Amino acid sequence: MKENYDVAVLGGGPAGLAAALAADAAGASVLLIEREGRLGGILKQCIHDGFGLVRFGKKLAGPEYAQHFIDALAQSKVETALLTFATHAEQTPDGVKLTLVSRAGMHTITVKKLVLATGCRERTARQVAIHGTRPAGIFTAGAAQYYTNILGELPTKRCVILGSGDIGLIMARRLTLEGAEVLGVYEAKPTPSGLARNISQCLKDFDIPISTSHTVTRVFGKERLEAVEIAEVDAAMQPKPGTAKRIDCDALILSVGLIPENELAETLGVALDKRTKGPVCDQNGQTMTEGIYACGNALHVNDLVDYVTESGEIAGRAAAAASAQRSLCPLATQGEFLYAVPQQIDLATLKTQTVLFFRVSREMQNAMVTLSVNGKTILEKRYRHLRPPEMERLAVDLSSAGLAQNSALLLTVKEADKTE
Amino acid sequence: MTELTCIVCPMGCTLQVAQGADGITVTGNSCPRGAQFGKAELTDPHRSLTTTVHTTLTTLPLLPVRTDGEIPKALVPKAIAALAKVLVEHPVKAGDVILPDLLGSGIDVIATATATE
Amino acid sequence: MQSAAKLTELLRGQFGNTVSAKEQNGILYLSGHLPDWDSVVAAGRLCADPKSRRMVVNDIAATGCERPKMQLPTMEDKALEGAAPDVLVIGAGVVGCAIARELARYDVTVLLVEKEHDVGMQASSRNDGMVHPGIDLKPWQVKQKYNLAGNRMYPEICRELEVPFARTGQIIGITQAWARAVLPLSVHYWRRMGIPCNYLSRDALLKKEPHLAPDVACGLEFPTAGIVCPYGLTIAYAENAVQNGVKLSLDTAVLGMKVQDGKIYAVRTNRGTIRPKVVVNAAGVFSEEIAQMANDRFFSIHPRKGTNAILDKKAAFRVQTIASLLGTAATKSAHSKGGGLVRTVDGNLLVGPDAVETAAKEDYATNAESVHATFAKQKNALPELSEADIITYFTGVRAATYEEDFVICPGRATKNLVHAAGIQSPGLTAAPAIGVAVAKMAAELVGTTKKNSKFQPHRTAVPHLSSLPQAERNALIHQNPDFGVIVCRCEEISRGEIIAALHRPVPCDTVDGVKRRVRPGMGRCQGGFCGPLVTQIIAEELHKPLEQVCKSGEGSELLLAPTKAETGQSNF
Repeated sequence: MKENYDVAVLGGGPAGLAAALAADAAGASVLLIEREGRLGGILKQCIHDGFGLVRFGKKLAGPEYAQHFIDALAQSKVETALLTFATHAEQTPDGVKLTLVSRAGMHTITVKKLVLATGCRERTARQVAIHGTRPAGIFTAGAAQYYTNILGELPTKRCVILGSGDIGLIMARRLTLEGAEVLGVYEAKPTPSGLARNISQCLKDFDIPISTSHTVTRVFGKERLEAVEIAEVDAAMQPKPGTAKRIDCDALILSVGLIPENELAETLGVALDKRTKGPVCDQNGQTMTEGIYACGNALHVNDLVDYVTESGEIAGRAAAAASAQRSLCPLATQGEFLYAVPQQIDLATLKTQTVLFFRVSREMQNAMVTLSVNGKTILEKRYRHLRPPEMERLAVDLSSAGLAQNSALLLTVKEADKTE
Repeated sequence: MTELTCIVCPMGCTLQVAQGADGITVTGNSCPRGAQFGKAELTDPHRSLTTTVHTTLTTLPLLPVRTDGEIPKALVPKAIAALAKVLVEHPVKAGDVILPDLLGSGIDVIATATATE
Repeated sequence: MQSAAKLTELLRGQFGNTVSAKEQNGILYLSGHLPDWDSVVAAGRLCADPKSRRMVVNDIAATGCERPKMQLPTMEDKALEGAAPDVLVIGAGVVGCAIARELARYDVTVLLVEKEHDVGMQASSRNDGMVHPGIDLKPWQVKQKYNLAGNRMYPEICRELEVPFARTGQIIGITQAWARAVLPLSVHYWRRMGIPCNYLSRDALLKKEPHLAPDVACGLEFPTAGIVCPYGLTIAYAENAVQNGVKLSLDTAVLGMKVQDGKIYAVRTNRGTIRPKVVVNAAGVFSEEIAQMANDRFFSIHPRKGTNAILDKKAAFRVQTIASLLGTAATKSAHSKGGGLVRTVDGNLLVGPDAVETAAKEDYATNAESVHATFAKQKNALPELSEADIITYFTGVRAATYEEDFVICPGRATKNLVHAAGIQSPGLTAAPAIGVAVAKMAAELVGTTKKNSKFQPHRTAVPHLSSLPQAERNALIHQNPDFGVIVCRCEEISRGEIIAALHRPVPCDTVDGVKRRVRPGMGRCQGGFCGPLVTQIIAEELHKPLEQVCKSGEGSELLLAPTKAETGQSNF
């Protein structure tokens, strides 16, 4: 390991791999830092297929998708530090000073740019206010996936799944295939959180029932989980009295949401967006702190790895370029959006294509999404369906839109009238 | 008429599949692959399968694998049982065939990860 | 002190004719039945006279309220058969472990038994970690004496045992303006009791706790209040005890005793019968059951639940000390010093506890209502407090007597027995002093004052690498590269620390045991990432199959079977 690099990429999952490769291709000296002993991030345990349809036009399994980039990395000049953890980062006049810990000891490196590709973590039982005892048998879907696919051990023989996020649905099928019984999937929201095709191929194919507007309110069992209490919830997600019922099972598996990991970003004073829980960034993935970039699920939680790769490439390429004075124009949203990224547009580096992502906050039919500058529409797109779990991508040419720092750049969404 | 969710891609179109006098008609699809899927679901549903197999490799005791194409849905339980007995004893690259012609389906099972030792 | 006849009259006036009081051998026995548990507790309270030696034994039954029996280990063997220690200490909570460690200073043999799979599993790991200054205790109380003495011992005991301790001070704010006139005078009340106390003007208070309620008028500071990790201290005491020759037997429950002529001859456990010279009752919520087995029951325990919430370290900047507003600490009426808002030694924010009477001594289930109520109350003190910052919550059960005081004394009827019973808050604060006092009582009963010349008071902790200066951390990694492999990303805990936790004087072979010793899984992801890795390390290090690794005690296996073993049988 050297003492200086142009770019350090933190995290060797799909976003970090793509960022490191893109920065390398753009001529930068790159250090890719990975906490675990193997590259690939969470894809290592995502053995199901469906990855890479956008990127490769093929349905690949997670490890297979990652392997493409790991192989490319071997052909590049990127240096990789495995089993290496960044304990501290601070900005200095020479760049970002990173303190790394590994089996070799403590090392300090200084880099011109830092790309955060730290992924996300899963929400826990306590964060969704499950009460009762604290027995063995409560697992996040990701932990259950690690046990099953990496260790080859079943964490359950008879379980209930709370949350209909994709990982939960995927695990319902995976556990069933390995001989466990999945009694049902419960979702507090009125509609499933996962992709429709996963409801079909992971639940319907195996006759696993899904109950929306239901949640787990309590767990029972002193040492090992013995049962859970399920209740119907109202529109405010509060359990309805008299609807509680007890289900005997040995595990509760949670797929109740993901949160971008930005602990190091916060120590650097990087501004976060309360809606995405990731950094506020421009279209290059540069955060509001000069020289610090973010990509992939650390920036906002994606549902397709293909887009994670794209965001890593954007950030990596931009991080490799020389620093330039930014000229930022905010992207505002109006209407029922969960969020839109990027939150800022840097006018100094605008290219002919700018990629925007958004999620709406409720299910809509025949919705019209409009992007306008100072009231003038520059892009309109009609969607047959918009659903909160599905992230939408918009590629737009903003370079010829006459944007200035004080322009009103606005993304709106409107559902067509039912009578239309 | 049957209503199905297309599983070909993440769009997950809702298909209406109907058996008429002159064959099966599919509506609601956004692409030709959706129509194909809808027809197959009614006559001979197929699925791709992903699982793991044991190895003797220290870096990867469990090797992730998938079918290189789709197999008849009815074959899935037997396929899982057959793959449970597989033991990989040599280094593999992603894409290497682990079990050719799975249960006579004509579909190979391939490794989806690379393991050197 | 009122007569039993008078108390019967009072009881019947309030609860009806189904209850009565009777005095015998200086003990007040209550009997009969009442419709619910809360009435049983109220009846006991009515008859308690904390200043007298006559204590309440409450045998009133609550109709239709089941009182669960003590949960017992399932294992049975003869590992302890025939053991004849000088002193048998029952219960390895912080009090039992402190007693055992202090007993190791004497030339006696000590056996410490614990029914759980680890030390400090009940009240000692389920409290707020506060080292109390002793502000709401009364001069006649046993607990006040031990609180003040224990508090003074903390800096040294924590230095000896290498346990982090922070003398943060406790700050109590008051919003009523009239307090500005009265409060400066009240300072003398505490100072006279030997409790340092300072008056804080509004400005001075907000300087120390800038996020506290903006309408605060003034406040008090008690500089001797502090914070410790309660299970960290318990484990440290136990390790130092074992290091000095104390024999520790986990998964060992006392099931009965043979008592004759005021002397315990034999103690039956699930692991064999022990013949100790002297028995120490440090059994927490079950100290009444142990007293009963020893024919020396003169007090009753009415369990009281308390729930605490732990918040993300990111929220901790809002509190620097132990802070509350007068009237918001979950205290007063409930006889327990709720800390309110506590900045823990590990840098989290702890909120709680509340106090709820319960008939179940091991009811550790949490309830949403408890958390909501505690937050609603503490939001008065800290308006920015948010339930969204919660990373976990837990419930403990206090071993309260009706006199709401500690029982620390030799047995009354049984002579080779010492009680360290009824220890509720401030038991953690008092533990070091109780340890010294009870060890002395027990040694005297054994008949020795001779000291153990080989006693080593110093215990070396597992190094906590992320808190070390870089050069020291680097040096440790060079000695042991596993110290450089981070397993728990939230708390930055290395593989080396986890392995070290598995090879300590007190055995540890569970995920929770590792968590309580070196903290992987204590952070915001609650073990989502590191749980499987810790499980794997335990299996490798202790040479056992993954399916035998437990979360906490027996029967809490995390993994049930290898995959593929049962395929083909499934009927999907």
